[in-house]
Amino acid sequence: MENIYKILIVFSLPAAIILSLFIGPYPIPPGKVLQILFNALVCNPQLGSAASRIVLYYRLPRVLAAALIGIALSISGASLQCMMRNPLVSPYVLGITSGAALGAAVALAFLPLFIPVELVAMITAIVAYLIVVAIAWGWGRGSIISLVLSGIVVNALFSAGLSLAEYFAPNPDKVAAIVFWLMGDVGQAGQWPDIIRMALIIIPCSIVLVMARWRLNILSLGDDEARSLGANPVFERLFFASVAALITASAVSYAGIIGWVGLLVPHIVRLMVGSDSRQVIIYSFFLGGTYLVLADDLSRAMTSQVIPIGILTTIMGAPILIILLRRAGKVWR
Amino acid sequence: MEVNPVIEVKGLNFSYNGAEKVLDNVSFELHKGEILGVLGPNGAGKTTLLKTLLGILKGTGMVRILGRNVASVSPKSLAKIIGYVPQEHHIVFPYKVIDYVIMGRAPHHGMFSVPSRKDYDKAYRVLDDLGLGSLADKTITEISGGQFQLVLIARTLVQEAKILLMDEPVSHLDISNAVKTMNLIRKLVEEKRILGAIVTLHDPLMASLYCDKILLLNKGRVEIYGSPREALIPDKLSQVYGVNFNIIRYNNKYILVPII
Repeated sequence: MENIYKILIVFSLPAAIILSLFIGPYPIPPGKVLQILFNALVCNPQLGSAASRIVLYYRLPRVLAAALIGIALSISGASLQCMMRNPLVSPYVLGITSGAALGAAVALAFLPLFIPVELVAMITAIVAYLIVVAIAWGWGRGSIISLVLSGIVVNALFSAGLSLAEYFAPNPDKVAAIVFWLMGDVGQAGQWPDIIRMALIIIPCSIVLVMARWRLNILSLGDDEARSLGANPVFERLFFASVAALITASAVSYAGIIGWVGLLVPHIVRLMVGSDSRQVIIYSFFLGGTYLVLADDLSRAMTSQVIPIGILTTIMGAPILIILLRRAGKVWR
Repeated sequence: MEVNPVIEVKGLNFSYNGAEKVLDNVSFELHKGEILGVLGPNGAGKTTLLKTLLGILKGTGMVRILGRNVASVSPKSLAKIIGYVPQEHHIVFPYKVIDYVIMGRAPHHGMFSVPSRKDYDKAYRVLDDLGLGSLADKTITEISGGQFQLVLIARTLVQEAKILLMDEPVSHLDISNAVKTMNLIRKLVEEKRILGAIVTLHDPLMASLYCDKILLLNKGRVEIYGSPREALIPDKLSQVYGVNFNIIRYNNKYILVPII
């Protein structure tokens, strides 16, 4: 059964990506879409037709952006849950989201237009994470609880900063822009250069976490046992957490706050293929991509207007998690 | 050839905050083929002692493991010598028994590698050997406390540890599982699969039944250290535990029985 799930999860990602290319307000027959894709793959994109341009410059980058962001949030969530020994940890525990949100708000409200919002968001997200680590390292010697607690503190602090930025925003349009950014939107990252910049961080960092998948099992035993098995838990956790933070910061700074994916996907994966980190990391990678691609399809196709994906993932995620927790009650006592 | 002690501890001190000493001038030796039982009431410093031997806590004084100063050995090398069976075990993720046992291979791998076919063969062999083969695919939340204790020992064998440090391995087990666990440790030592074991114990009776040496700690100090015959002094034990004891000779062993 586990093996069937594994195959399904792996193939769900390419399947979801290809199927999603068929969806959009401008009707293009699936055969035509595939032909356009094939032409592009053999380096003969016929950009003359509107259909080609829609598929290659609008739908494909958007779908790939959704897949990348889903992968980013899921794999960082899965690895953080393991290394922090807490299945309720999400990628947002390390202060990254509120850091990115504050940066984006400041950029949208006060900074000149030529400064890219995602760059400012990325910088503040990383600053927020470094503050979390500094506090956890300085006062808690890098223990799990000190990381989580300082994450909560920094999140609260930066959220207050976000409120200030909204309060002092020069006009209501800017407030609206901030609010919209906070809801999350894959379309913000839906241009080829954005995707390439995102992929350059997310893909190598994900490979690091995938390679370290077994080590995360060892760290999940707790510091004393990990140490007795020859690991250096404090240093290793900090290293892997930084990798996960970089992945999350990259996704969030482009697409805004997309909730629940990083918490939910690893849980679904655990119920399908078991708790071993080696499996959880790899299959969270695939299922995370699928989940966000499908969520983005819904956000594009449900109504004539695009619904912010952050709202959708939360609406979809809450009932799924309730069902999962009910089932997981048996597993986790 | 001179017989070197497996573990040699001299004048070991430790305190968490610099004020109260949790370990106060502790000295003892573990020799080849011995099980050393560390006795003492709660808070006597038993767990702290094990953690200093593991290098998790850094005390002052001398701790030599196979002749090497523990402070100068890297965690990875130390993990190839010492296997640790912790007392509290908070299970967060319900791993399968085999996935749990295979983690014993960690000291033989780097940060970015995964266990190989050979590692798995070894893990299955150890599980079969301990009669746990049928549990391999169960999750650790599905097995009993006694079985889990054996799984923890299996992990140290997969680790190829030469010395076992066990923190209260039998305190939460019923008598049948406690005996099974202690018998296994005895067997491992007798078959020379491990050089020796240090076991902290709540129950002086267990210590008198299974241990070659007994170290009685009280408030971080060594009250008694020696063979059961030398160490089990009813008066001393009464002072530490606040209960009176009788020593009974049975099957060439000195057994400690509380007077009720």
